[in-house]
Amino acid sequence: MTEENKPVKQEVIETEVAMGTVHPAALEPYRVRLFVEDEIVMDAEITIGVNHRGIERIMEGLPVEKANALTEKVCGICSNAHIWNSVLTAEKGLGIEVPERSNYIRIIMGELERLHSHFLFLGHGNEVLGHETFSMRVFYLRETVMELLRMIGGNRVQYGASIIGGVRPRCEIDEMRTQKILEGMDTLEKGILDFADRFVLDPMVKSRTEGIGVITQKQAKELEVTGPTLRATGIAQDLRVTMKEYEDFDFDIITMDDGDVRSNLLMRALEIPESIKIIRQAVKNLPKGPILDRSWEMFDCDSIKSYIEVPRGTLYHSYAIEEGRVRGSIIRTPSMSNIGAMQTACIGDHVTDAQLCIVQCDPCFTCTDRAIKVIKI
Amino acid sequence: MSLKPFSRARAVHLMLVYTGGCNGCDIEIVNCVLSPKFDIEQYKVFLTWNPREADVLVVTGPVTKLNEKPLKEIYESIPNPKAVIAAGSCALMGGVYKNIHGDIPSEEIMGPVENIIPVDAKVPGCAVRPEDILSGVVATLPKLLEAD
Repeated sequence: MTEENKPVKQEVIETEVAMGTVHPAALEPYRVRLFVEDEIVMDAEITIGVNHRGIERIMEGLPVEKANALTEKVCGICSNAHIWNSVLTAEKGLGIEVPERSNYIRIIMGELERLHSHFLFLGHGNEVLGHETFSMRVFYLRETVMELLRMIGGNRVQYGASIIGGVRPRCEIDEMRTQKILEGMDTLEKGILDFADRFVLDPMVKSRTEGIGVITQKQAKELEVTGPTLRATGIAQDLRVTMKEYEDFDFDIITMDDGDVRSNLLMRALEIPESIKIIRQAVKNLPKGPILDRSWEMFDCDSIKSYIEVPRGTLYHSYAIEEGRVRGSIIRTPSMSNIGAMQTACIGDHVTDAQLCIVQCDPCFTCTDRAIKVIKI
Repeated sequence: MSLKPFSRARAVHLMLVYTGGCNGCDIEIVNCVLSPKFDIEQYKVFLTWNPREADVLVVTGPVTKLNEKPLKEIYESIPNPKAVIAAGSCALMGGVYKNIHGDIPSEEIMGPVENIIPVDAKVPGCAVRPEDILSGVVATLPKLLEAD
């Protein structure tokens, strides 16, 4: 759309409801302005920027290993995904083949992280919905995943599992850990299926979520939405299918048709059994051998880029290597492209549902905060 | 024990402020309130988002430039007696964001929290463990209970 034929925004707006940047309803600092007419949201605008820490600039000139460790601090929810993708970027440029076993351990960590992220989304979503019982049940299930992550990675949030050439020796999965992972998976599968049953049958939740915050397929394509939010509109797009790390695994891509809050919540609940399936396969077929290959050499290379599928969508990392140091780093997180979807989902709904419409896109503004301006398409 | 400390000890309200961390500490703190496993509410500690209702302010993150003023305002609007807990390595010393490039001053990070508001208890960890938050809250209790 060019500048001339853009629709002119209404001059007089009846009411503006502004929230943020620190606000009770929002768990993260961001600012949202809702333009309201008769309690119906006519337009929404989300502004971020208070969390800007300049990670890409700090990365500039750091040794590659140190920069990889720093990328983990981009986000506290999908921290493993960031370090994984950053390491993959370096490995791609330096032509390193990681041992098969370490690749499996990375996938186990990645899928455990997807589990904890989806559980967090369900917990947070149900809390915003006003259903605290569901929220607490989900948080209780999530503890199982956190314990497993702590067992493998040594910490509950920042694990630092991947390094160039494999995974850290402390993340080795032995007999005892295998047993614990499998036990945890059984608990989770039972728990999430129970939850999904109750969620589907609850008439209160249904009335509160159905037809709210709808994003159509056309809008989703226009706004370049990624990840589960895109899959909830009916487009089966998952980068895991094309990633060579995942080629030995058998799993389904879940899609929903409506693109409203209900399908977004249910979509994540149904993706959890798929992740459990992947973890079970990985643990069962875990190859024997070393987990770390240190026989690689550093050399200069031009800008390298890497995409992976993280819990929220597609994550992009790119940098060049010069004398063992990082140059020109770019990180693009999935919530960046989902901000458009959050704004669109609010429009046409009741002002009380606006927060729910934003939460349904699984926002993570702390990791997104690296752009200067969001351009509305 | 007089009535005031008796009732204060049974309604400690936490307020959580995010000042630009990575979200890890924040989720662990919310987890420590909401998750039935830790369940801080059984010790009569509640999470609130209203500064005028709060007793204990929990600050996470390295305090970015844009967050400095809101943090001060929130601190001032909490009624006395009040206590501040700085949670996580970012809040304690600026974390990786401030320190990874050595002595070069950072334009974006105004932290640690001590530079901006007085801190009563420090909870280390990256990210903080929910158990540590509990002990941090307990450590600030004497200040709340002994005040007039």
